[in-house]
Amino acid sequence: MSIEVLHVNKSFDTTPIVRDVSVKIETGELFVLLGASGSGKSTLLRLIAGLIELDSGTILLNDRDVTHLSPQQRGTGFVFQNYSLFRHMTVAQNIEFGLSIRKVKRLEREQRVNELLELIELQGYGNRYPAQLSGGQQQRVALARALAYQPNVLLLDEPFGALDVKIRVQLRQNLRAIQQRLGLTAILVTHDQEEAFDIADRIGIIDQGELLEVGAPDQLYRNPTHRFTATFLGTANLLDARRNGTNVYWGDVKIPAPANTEQFSGKPVEVLARPEEVALSCTRERAPGSIIGQGIVDSIAFAGPVLRVTVCLLSHDRKNLQVLLAPSDVRDQNIEVGQEVWVSLKEYHLLATNAE
Amino acid sequence: MREIKPRSPLAFLLIGIAVLYAVILFIAPLVAIIYGAFKDGIDPIIETLTDPSVLHAFEVSLVLALGAVLINTIFGLVTAWVLVRQKFRGRGIFNTLIDIPFVFSPVIAGYAMIVLFGRGGWLAPPIFPIVFALPGILLAKTFVSLPFVAREVQPVLDSISPEPEDAAYTIGASRWATFRRVILPELWTALLYGIVLTFARAVGEFGAVSVVGGNIEGYTETATSFVFRALNDRNSTGAYVVSLILCLVSVLILFLMNLLRRRMVVSRG
Repeated sequence: MSIEVLHVNKSFDTTPIVRDVSVKIETGELFVLLGASGSGKSTLLRLIAGLIELDSGTILLNDRDVTHLSPQQRGTGFVFQNYSLFRHMTVAQNIEFGLSIRKVKRLEREQRVNELLELIELQGYGNRYPAQLSGGQQQRVALARALAYQPNVLLLDEPFGALDVKIRVQLRQNLRAIQQRLGLTAILVTHDQEEAFDIADRIGIIDQGELLEVGAPDQLYRNPTHRFTATFLGTANLLDARRNGTNVYWGDVKIPAPANTEQFSGKPVEVLARPEEVALSCTRERAPGSIIGQGIVDSIAFAGPVLRVTVCLLSHDRKNLQVLLAPSDVRDQNIEVGQEVWVSLKEYHLLATNAE
Repeated sequence: MREIKPRSPLAFLLIGIAVLYAVILFIAPLVAIIYGAFKDGIDPIIETLTDPSVLHAFEVSLVLALGAVLINTIFGLVTAWVLVRQKFRGRGIFNTLIDIPFVFSPVIAGYAMIVLFGRGGWLAPPIFPIVFALPGILLAKTFVSLPFVAREVQPVLDSISPEPEDAAYTIGASRWATFRRVILPELWTALLYGIVLTFARAVGEFGAVSVVGGNIEGYTETATSFVFRALNDRNSTGAYVVSLILCLVSVLILFLMNLLRRRMVVSRG
């Protein structure tokens, strides 16, 4: 069951919320729609479910045009952030709601409820009421309720947003396992990049209603094409530069251009280096990769297994760079606050600059 | 827990005023009615309760009050729904108009109905009479008890999150099934509370009912208008006995309301 969205637009009053979004999600894929709050990601999900009517565009579920069908006719499974269980019904009644609506026989319903309770590991909870369950348990019931009638696709709107971190991590791995076991096509909306990295086959980055780019998590992190993606996913060090010939230049710095960046020839670009791709060395000779100059260590903060170092470049308008270093590197290179160090890039990527 | 402080003289005074007020206004009349009903022994009571015109008056009161409850339950639900879910021009005015029966004198409402539905009125029905007949009484009872269901249901409906409803739609439930199985169960307590209030008001109404109905003995006379007539006829036992029964109904309703109110607090907490 694939999901295809073609040139979908939606405005509330006169404010565009979703702008010309097109994307195809393949069968069995878990697609994560990642964006800040107010980016239009939940609206897009509701448009796919049919809970909101679109202004223009087409939505296909398994190649069937469902653009003008009601949510009932689309048959998607939807999981809401606030669980939205029917609180006057027991867990079992919640789960079998979709089956009783479809007039499925009682014995078959009971059997299916038991299967699902097992799937979400809540056997024996069938007679409880939602108010008697924890948030994590309620969300698992909500998932079971959405799966009971074997929907074409599963749509999840910030399903773990209201839960604390430990349960969130556990639940998303459960969800991932269930999704893969059942071969479900799913879209999950979140603002949590860690969650997206953890479970997504592909991530779509959405900002101000526009789907900026789509790709595998590592691809989007290592080689984003949009500045927004680069800064939204993880920390980004960005340096204005120009690509000429086979090199990238800024000021009196010259480093080799990365492979497959010919399309940027002769244009202003931004060099993107992730904090873990920057190296600090006590001497020029020991600096790995491409040296970009000297800097002064501004601060060193403990961050668990690594140290987060801020270094202030002596050139390039005294720009600050964020660097992640292993404690052993800090020791070997005698890095201390106020010390002068050589700054080099082990790896880097180019981004097109929109300002021409 | 809040600390309990020793009471000040002012607190004693305020408690005293509140209790005295309740005794004079509620409890003393109730005691007087009970005393009046039983002062001549049990025979006049049995006599009153077997009087066909008294029985008929009770029947008219009860049946037409239930009729008003039925009408206002449906109307009240629809009104609450429209006020909460629909945005339309004049919604604010409509919202205010619902309360007219609360502020209108019932006698004036009854008079307006005579003007409208009586002989030569704009809406005078050609087939059966409304004024000075049972339909008029039903109309009067419906009018005076109109706001209760709407006003009880409206805030609850307003506070219900739209998500369970959306969930029901995605699961495949029709609008009607969603209303019946997802929304209505949330409204039950408030709806019952509104129904009880509607019934209490409709049973007890006198002014509008006597103006529109005309208090015709054995026909449009209700329990409350019987009390009025019995007093005029110096049939004090009859007045006391019927009053006592109406009071018992009220007390029963009071307990029911209290029960429902506690359920409301529990289900919202």
